[in-house]
Amino acid sequence: MDKLTQLYQKSVSRRNFLAGASAVGAASVLAGCSNNGPYLPPTTTTPPVVPPTPPPAVSDADILNFALNLEYLEAEFYLRAATGFGLAAGDVGTGAGAVTGGAKVPTTSVLQQNIINEIAYDEQQHVKFLRSAITAAGATPVDRPVIDLMTSFNTLAAAAGIAPAFNPFADFNSFLVGSFIFEDVGVTAYTGAATLISSSAILSAAAGIQAVEAYHAAYVRTALTGSAIQAAAAGTVYPYLGYANQVSALRATLGGGNEVPLTLPTTVSTPSSIVAADSKNAIAFARTTDQVLHIVYGSLSNTAGATSPAAGVKSGVFFPNGLNGNITVTQS
Amino acid sequence: MATIETKALDSIIASRRAMLIGGGAVLAALATTSSAKAASTVTAYTDADILNFALNLEYLEANYYYLAAFGITIDAPPNKASTAAGASQLLITGTGTQGGPVLVKANPQIPFKSVAVGSYAVETAVEEGKHVAFLRDALGVSGAIAQPQIDLLGAWNTLAMAAGIGATFDPFASDATFLIGAYVFEDVGVTAYHGAAPLISTTPAGKKILGAAVGIHAVEAYHAGLVRTTLNFLDPDGALGLIGLTQKISALRTTLAQAASTTLVTSDDIPLTPTTAPTMVMLNGASASATSIVDADPVTVLGFARTTTQVLNIVTGGGATTAGVKATGVFFPAGLNGLFS
Repeated sequence: MDKLTQLYQKSVSRRNFLAGASAVGAASVLAGCSNNGPYLPPTTTTPPVVPPTPPPAVSDADILNFALNLEYLEAEFYLRAATGFGLAAGDVGTGAGAVTGGAKVPTTSVLQQNIINEIAYDEQQHVKFLRSAITAAGATPVDRPVIDLMTSFNTLAAAAGIAPAFNPFADFNSFLVGSFIFEDVGVTAYTGAATLISSSAILSAAAGIQAVEAYHAAYVRTALTGSAIQAAAAGTVYPYLGYANQVSALRATLGGGNEVPLTLPTTVSTPSSIVAADSKNAIAFARTTDQVLHIVYGSLSNTAGATSPAAGVKSGVFFPNGLNGNITVTQS
Repeated sequence: MATIETKALDSIIASRRAMLIGGGAVLAALATTSSAKAASTVTAYTDADILNFALNLEYLEANYYYLAAFGITIDAPPNKASTAAGASQLLITGTGTQGGPVLVKANPQIPFKSVAVGSYAVETAVEEGKHVAFLRDALGVSGAIAQPQIDLLGAWNTLAMAAGIGATFDPFASDATFLIGAYVFEDVGVTAYHGAAPLISTTPAGKKILGAAVGIHAVEAYHAGLVRTTLNFLDPDGALGLIGLTQKISALRTTLAQAASTTLVTSDDIPLTPTTAPTMVMLNGASASATSIVDADPVTVLGFARTTTQVLNIVTGGGATTAGVKATGVFFPAGLNGLFS
């Protein structure tokens, strides 16, 4: 397996390279906050900086509870988009935090409504599954943390350079952009967590959820790409594809690279960019828990203006009071 | 990192492996009596064996997409279309018996009408090609299996007959038939990698392989989601018959998976549903209609996992129901290469 070790080393060094590139990207994103133009990947000559700090030892229950926080967020987003209401009281724990924002998305077709309903159901069931799996593992599922679905999107949209305010519940296209924020992150989070898990049964469950997140991500990316292709054929521009790519650029900044923006194919022989994976080997990205925390907290560092990830970030954006559980504060 | 936890983990994995091996032996015994249920006689395997099993499937998928998008097999010299897409010419040599030329109709390159579908085909071809290259690289020059004989011609007719679709089926005919052909493969890829993940060893080298395997698993799910989304867009109410085809294919896959399992009694394959007969779900206690983009358990909404024997039985169209006999048929007329065959 020496060959594999070499490959792994190569991929680690690539990730370090991406992390280095993202620091430069951070500077350009911050400098370009008011720029509404398309995101241009930052050019960089910066060599790899510091290898990521290995995460502290965590239990399977800690990882499942980390995932449960993210599933609470997704379930609240999609359920509110589908019905106007969030998770049932029995699914959030007795000390659940409040949820701000969220509303039923006006749809223009049965298909649109059915799609929102499907994703809402999937994420609701993931919350139920994780709560029961954590209990079955002899641990206690964390309560739903305080979740912000209003100011969070405005802050992120401003940071991404989309607009000072953004309401993902305004219409179906805005909903797709809101979904885009979550889904690829879910895939990278579960891919990263898989190798930390000890129990093979829990590993299998995590892989099962990872697949579902990838199905969702593919849906969102296919819908955005398809709409952009239709618009281009009609001689118009579908701005939501650009918004999604601005989100992707921001996620790359916050989450150590690990992003592939959408493209607009113009002919039947131009490749699309539905899959978010390493362009070298077409293997999906894995993010560390720290990288995921930086994204959902919308912050690289507690130091204003910092352009590289730092330890100690513990709340922000979607989670104004932070996550619940043992993985809540960035270690790097 | 040799903590109590990792030691406990090792014992769990060891016992799980022992259980799987035991299960195989029991199944083998069953097969020698009367009811042929599974072909698993594998008693010891390495991570390389698992990667080689996956490589068989990636050879199949990559050739399908290369032929549809570029009109050439993965080992052919690049042509204008593959060069424009950045798709590499790939090696197919290795251990085991290398198959002859892929069986496929003349001029298989699809004259795509839709920019969306054509661009998806090109993207997927490139990505599946990279999976072949990655697995071969990971296995090393002496460790990778050769590409087995692949049939992308008669296999479709056999499957179409078995699924009740008709006497013939040509996935290389149009945008829609291409998507149906892709539907046949992608969800199977997802379940195969999912089933394989917990079999991978827990050594540091194994963890690296696991990381790669779950990464490929996610990409297969992206592909499956892409295919299912596009079919759903093209035929939301089922009037074109595409959704009906996915239902027949899913039913056949479940039948083949069940035939290779003593425990699977319910479906492990959820097809698309039309707006006229949608999937019904409960959102906070209220019933709601939904699509079926995701292929997952209807209650837990975890993706399905399949054993190597179940996957073998699907890709050989029922060839894996006799223990100890190499599974052959449909896409792999001479069987797969490697230990899991």
